[in-house]
Amino acid sequence: MAELQDELHLTSEVGELDPPAVWPESEPALLGTPGPAGTAGGDPLERAHAFLAAHPVADGYSGLPWVLRHLPWYDLELGETSVDTDVPRMRAGHVGAVFCSLHLPEGLAGDRAVGATLEQLDLVKTVVRAHPEGLRMTYSASGLTDASNCGRVAVVLGPAGAGALGDSLGILRALHTLGLRVLTLAGASWASEAGLTRFGEEVLREMNRLGVLADLSGTSDATTGRALAVSKAPVVFTRSAARALRPHPVNLPDDVLIELGAAKGLCLVPLTAEQAGPSVRDVADHLDHIRVLAGAECVGLSGTYDSGAAHPQDLSDASCYPRLIAELISRGWSESDLALLTWGNVQRVLRGADFTARAAQQRREPSSAKIAELDG
Amino acid sequence: MTSSSVSVSTGSAPSPSLGRARELLAEFPVVDGHNDLPWALREQVRYDLGARDIAADQSAHLHTDLARLRAGGVGAQYWSVYVRSDLPGAVTATLEQIDCVRQLIDRHPADLRAALTAADMEAARAEGRIASLMGAEGGHSIDNSLAALRGLYALGVRYMTLTHNDNIAWADSATDVPTVGGLSAFGREVVREMNREGMLVDLSHVAATTMRDALDTSVAPVVFSHSSARAVCDHPRNIPDDVLERLPANGGVAMVTFVPKFVLQAAVDWTAAADENMRAHGFHHLDTTAEGMKIHRVFEESNPRPVATVATVADHLDHMREVAGIDHLGIGGDYDGTAFTPHGLDDVSGYPNLVAELLDRGWSSADLAKLTWQNSVRVLGAAEDVARDLKARRGPSNATLEQLDG
Repeated sequence: MAELQDELHLTSEVGELDPPAVWPESEPALLGTPGPAGTAGGDPLERAHAFLAAHPVADGYSGLPWVLRHLPWYDLELGETSVDTDVPRMRAGHVGAVFCSLHLPEGLAGDRAVGATLEQLDLVKTVVRAHPEGLRMTYSASGLTDASNCGRVAVVLGPAGAGALGDSLGILRALHTLGLRVLTLAGASWASEAGLTRFGEEVLREMNRLGVLADLSGTSDATTGRALAVSKAPVVFTRSAARALRPHPVNLPDDVLIELGAAKGLCLVPLTAEQAGPSVRDVADHLDHIRVLAGAECVGLSGTYDSGAAHPQDLSDASCYPRLIAELISRGWSESDLALLTWGNVQRVLRGADFTARAAQQRREPSSAKIAELDG
Repeated sequence: MTSSSVSVSTGSAPSPSLGRARELLAEFPVVDGHNDLPWALREQVRYDLGARDIAADQSAHLHTDLARLRAGGVGAQYWSVYVRSDLPGAVTATLEQIDCVRQLIDRHPADLRAALTAADMEAARAEGRIASLMGAEGGHSIDNSLAALRGLYALGVRYMTLTHNDNIAWADSATDVPTVGGLSAFGREVVREMNREGMLVDLSHVAATTMRDALDTSVAPVVFSHSSARAVCDHPRNIPDDVLERLPANGGVAMVTFVPKFVLQAAVDWTAAADENMRAHGFHHLDTTAEGMKIHRVFEESNPRPVATVATVADHLDHMREVAGIDHLGIGGDYDGTAFTPHGLDDVSGYPNLVAELLDRGWSSADLAKLTWQNSVRVLGAAEDVARDLKARRGPSNATLEQLDG
């Protein structure tokens, strides 16, 4: 009898997965530590791992879809050296959710942009379906938590470029139905250097009605200002650091950061050398700066892996988040602020978009506005 | 809903079988394979659905509104998300058409129910709502991309006609000069991917060579969403007998269409002359806008239009039944996609007249249940079964036109 039980025990061990992300052995000890995480003892990197096991990273931008489009063969399950992101490294980095960019290279416009976006969407869904043990498609804040609780990396579709709409609200609704949740308000006649046109504002209102987040990274100052005023749901900057620390056109000046904090939006800091700086400390400086100006509820992380950008030293792929968190822990970030940074804020804006959509759908019919009528 | 408020013009005295026809349709309503209401809404009011509210009487502008669908005994409708093949931006326009259908369904929840499966169709019938499905009309709607095809499926499109009136790179149309000679290698891959997804392959509008290639390739039943019999009226849009004969083995369904210029020989000849006249006045020959119809009416004054009747359509059904068998027939009216309709089948309220005519010709109620409802529901279910099987065995195809057709 005892032998039989032993055998059964062994069999279950064979099928055991990696240590589950949501049940770290060290969690009780960590939660038991009062006050700022930095004041307690222990190696910051170890503590970062323990912290991330309970509060995984929601990564606001991955360029993976466009890279995979051009790879003849890949296996994200076992590990793929030709990209920065695969399932083993996401597990090592405690990534719990990732936004998959559907941005297209310059030069694709009109119907070709719509078609290429459909193809990218299909590609992401195919990849996720091919990795059921590691990835799961998600479409809402609750889905994010659910996927993470199931030990899967939640994959969210977006941001897509404004050109993907082909200037039609019908296509916006179709893309939302297919799963798109974030749209960048740049790269169309209605969201240009001159700001949002009347049609552009109608697009934003329809996005609010559907529950599609507005991404303002890379938009003009005029568009940013107008979008902050018009949008009923929180807006996000999927790839913006602080311009005060590093001048870059996509980084945000201090006044916008203060405005963003007042509007309870979200600024996701990209882990790129160009925008944030060459070292982990530089990235942490940006996070410190934005936390002071916009508030801890308005700052998050954006890996920006596989987008062609160079990354700071020691943050070269999706497995490196613990190093950044360790740096923040030693700078005295409290556990609650860190939890907002890695996961909570993304949850909040997604939930805000859902909430706004439900409220707006009670009041508004699908908009039938045409660009020719409004912008004529 | 009763039909008392809606006049059903039958021309002559109503057939004594009409009451019986309505009873039959109450139990097994019509699955119609093709209705171009979305395109009519796009052309007439640019999707301003309030301006053509189908909850109100739209007989002045459209063949279709809710009251007439109810009077006609329609229980399921494939709304066509057709877009023109001669304009750029077909994918974009198709998405807008899909959005239009979704808005229609959302606006009229008491009458329309979104349907994606055969089970949904049966559920709609049980609830007394009209199952609303979508069909894309022409391979140009996917712009040579299998990913776009899967996108359309995900948005609810359940059949795709392989071509419209013009050839595309991978398939020949019935009404164009043959270039591919049927389906190209990529065209066959499209058919296989449709099988894998569970999207019905629609062979209306395609050349006979394409029909045969598609029947050779498809492992799921095919449909003809709106085509009649070529042996009865020799028009390229109709189905030749050798293809009809293959339907029993394939399990597919040919849905008879009412369009006079396809079903009545005299109308075929008249239409050729009328189209020439439209083109001479600088209009697209399928134009149904107010200005286009004005040109048509002037032509009609000097050239009386031959009128098809319910009997004309019934002749087609009798022949198709002889050749393909009762299990392979359906109905695809093409309302709001054609300028003219047969006498007695003037709009979507006319189906009972067709059923009455068939009753008078000795069709049994079991035959009619197959024609109106059962056959069409069966093929969608069969396509789902095939897809479940194929999905377990192979992944999505990303083949391109360049790879396969060089």
